[in-house]
Amino acid sequence: MADEGHSHRRSGRLIELLTNVDRRIIFLVIALAVALPLLFPLNLPVRPSREATAYFEALEALDPGDVIIFSFDYEPDTMAELDPMSLATLRHAFRKDLRVIALTNYPGGPGIALRNLEQAATEYGKQPGTDYVFLGYNPDYSATMLRMGESIQATFPTDHSQTPTAEIPLLQEANSYADIPLLVTVTASALAEYWIIWAGGKYGQKIITGNTAIQAVLIYPYYQTGQLAGFLGGLKGAAEYEKLLELPGTGILGMDAQSMAHLLIVLFILLGNVGFFLQRRAARNGGAN
Amino acid sequence: MDASMAGTILAAIFTLAIFSLLYRDNPFYRFAEHLLVGVSAGYYVVHYFSSAVLRKFAYPVFVSQDWWLLPGGLLGLLMLFRLSRHTQWVSRYAIAFYVAAWSGYLIPSVIQERVLVQIQGTIPQLIGATPGAVIGALILLVGVTTILVYFYFSAEHRGALNSLSRIGITFLMIGFGASFGYTVMGRVSLLIGRFQFLFQEVPEVLGL
Amino acid sequence: MKKTGPVILGFLVGILMLVQYFTPNAWIEARYNNVLDWKQVVFGMTLILGVVSLFLYHWRKISRRQSGWGYSVVTIGGLLFMIFAALIWSPEAGPYRWMFDYVQAPMQATMFALLAFYVASASYRAFRARGFHAALLLTAGVIVMLGRVPLGELIGVRIGETHISLATISSWILDYPNLAAKRGVMIGVGLGMTATAIKIIVGIERTYLGRGA
Repeated sequence: MADEGHSHRRSGRLIELLTNVDRRIIFLVIALAVALPLLFPLNLPVRPSREATAYFEALEALDPGDVIIFSFDYEPDTMAELDPMSLATLRHAFRKDLRVIALTNYPGGPGIALRNLEQAATEYGKQPGTDYVFLGYNPDYSATMLRMGESIQATFPTDHSQTPTAEIPLLQEANSYADIPLLVTVTASALAEYWIIWAGGKYGQKIITGNTAIQAVLIYPYYQTGQLAGFLGGLKGAAEYEKLLELPGTGILGMDAQSMAHLLIVLFILLGNVGFFLQRRAARNGGAN
Repeated sequence: MDASMAGTILAAIFTLAIFSLLYRDNPFYRFAEHLLVGVSAGYYVVHYFSSAVLRKFAYPVFVSQDWWLLPGGLLGLLMLFRLSRHTQWVSRYAIAFYVAAWSGYLIPSVIQERVLVQIQGTIPQLIGATPGAVIGALILLVGVTTILVYFYFSAEHRGALNSLSRIGITFLMIGFGASFGYTVMGRVSLLIGRFQFLFQEVPEVLGL
Repeated sequence: MKKTGPVILGFLVGILMLVQYFTPNAWIEARYNNVLDWKQVVFGMTLILGVVSLFLYHWRKISRRQSGWGYSVVTIGGLLFMIFAALIWSPEAGPYRWMFDYVQAPMQATMFALLAFYVASASYRAFRARGFHAALLLTAGVIVMLGRVPLGELIGVRIGETHISLATISSWILDYPNLAAKRGVMIGVGLGMTATAIKIIVGIERTYLGRGA
């Protein structure tokens, strides 16, 4: 009887321990799981996925001088996931001497776009106006996407710095999707789907997308049908692309922390469920007694 | 100290102020939160104005003299009638214009790209396919069909309909599971970004 | 005038935008382009109105000395500072851009980074395998979570020449059952969107016009 009581008390303490952990302890543990691999890297190998390889090859297949559209469809909230994709894509484009027409469908996008464009352009010695142009933000994404199929100059009468687009050399050569072999959107929302529907569906524009992890899972059906030529999913997608480009950046650097944090969260789920089942069993036994 | 170094220090302070919410709500967090709302709104409104009013209205109408853009500006002005309860109804013209225009061009595109092309992609292409691909294609067909059965509400789900819709739920749960996995991935990545800033970028800028 | 007028305008514009998809008529195409341009101005004005409402909300809070009015001063101060910074210097440089780079961007990013902590906490405290479907959801989630990071490549078994890792299983889940789930929902939502759009154009659906429409 005494043994049984002792065992009950021990199991009760275990249940208590497993089910009543202060959330701040969980916060601290997850912070350590992310911080430690950043300070002491494990260098886990990154293997490019099929979708990331398709994204890379879509850009790789273009010829020097070709013009691409690059849409920065995100705000600072997701820049940790998407900035590595944008920077890697711009580096890839400028390395191949592609010319870039950049824009954003988000009001918080211009600051992000300028920072990435200026950094990549400086690294590869590219000039605004001839090698790239930033059109800025336009309200109403669907109207913008459709209007660009007719005329980019009419969609954006001036660029971000209020220069008339009719006077920009790059836009005199490329003024609609018909003149552009590839459109890239790096996005944190359903805008990838809308580019596919309106630029891809109505005007036959070839599209590749960089997506946040949350959005990437929704994009698979479009890739399977060929409406999308390739895509990157989350920071892992960025790391895969950096690996293909052989230009390591913050994507690859973050992969150890990403792995450790995921492992820890799986452990949390397991421990939480062990506590749950023990509690349920104890409640049943209590009921039976 | 140059502007970028001062900015980095300020950004680190604000980052920590936001993180302080994890301990508990406090005045530093609330100050940072309200400043973020104000600065963001200020940043956005400048872009709204320069794109919608200057670029899409004032420049084409007054510089390029494209008078066809004039009605857009007038419709836009109608939105301002929302500010008074008595004149709110006037803004309905602008709202009706906007929503109906969107509805008009949405119908054919959505039917084509989100319905017909997707159905086409679900029909198995079995000729010359490997056994693995055939199994995959059949899983896809069964999954999509049973999920659509699950969403079919015009008849009570009993008998065969119930069994099929339960298979549909099973597929949906796997899909939600995948979404859950990716959601965790996304959230963790955002934290990695902030820690990279605090532990790598800040010491680099400060020369530590 | 108050109710029927907007519905008639909506019907005419909706039909124009629908018809243009099927006809190469130059006049219709030109009007279609006009509507797209006008739409952008209307949308932009709506967004400006949103910021005006935010300003008025905080202004009222300050003028009535409501609880937390001091924080409203911070919000309005930030808002006005950004507008004046853009007017005095430029939206591309100076304090306006500096504030974006060093105040708005890091704070907005951190605000969303907080969610990593809450997701971890919820994983421990809320995600329970209470039944078959919940267990299935959790199992798929765990496989995808581990399979989509480099660690997943290392966890697996070797059957003959083939290495089946969590990454392989995760890719299979994403390519087939997940794809089926997302496509099923996508087709359902697509049909729903179309039905709503038709109801809007013909004037059956009017709730978007507000009360009394």
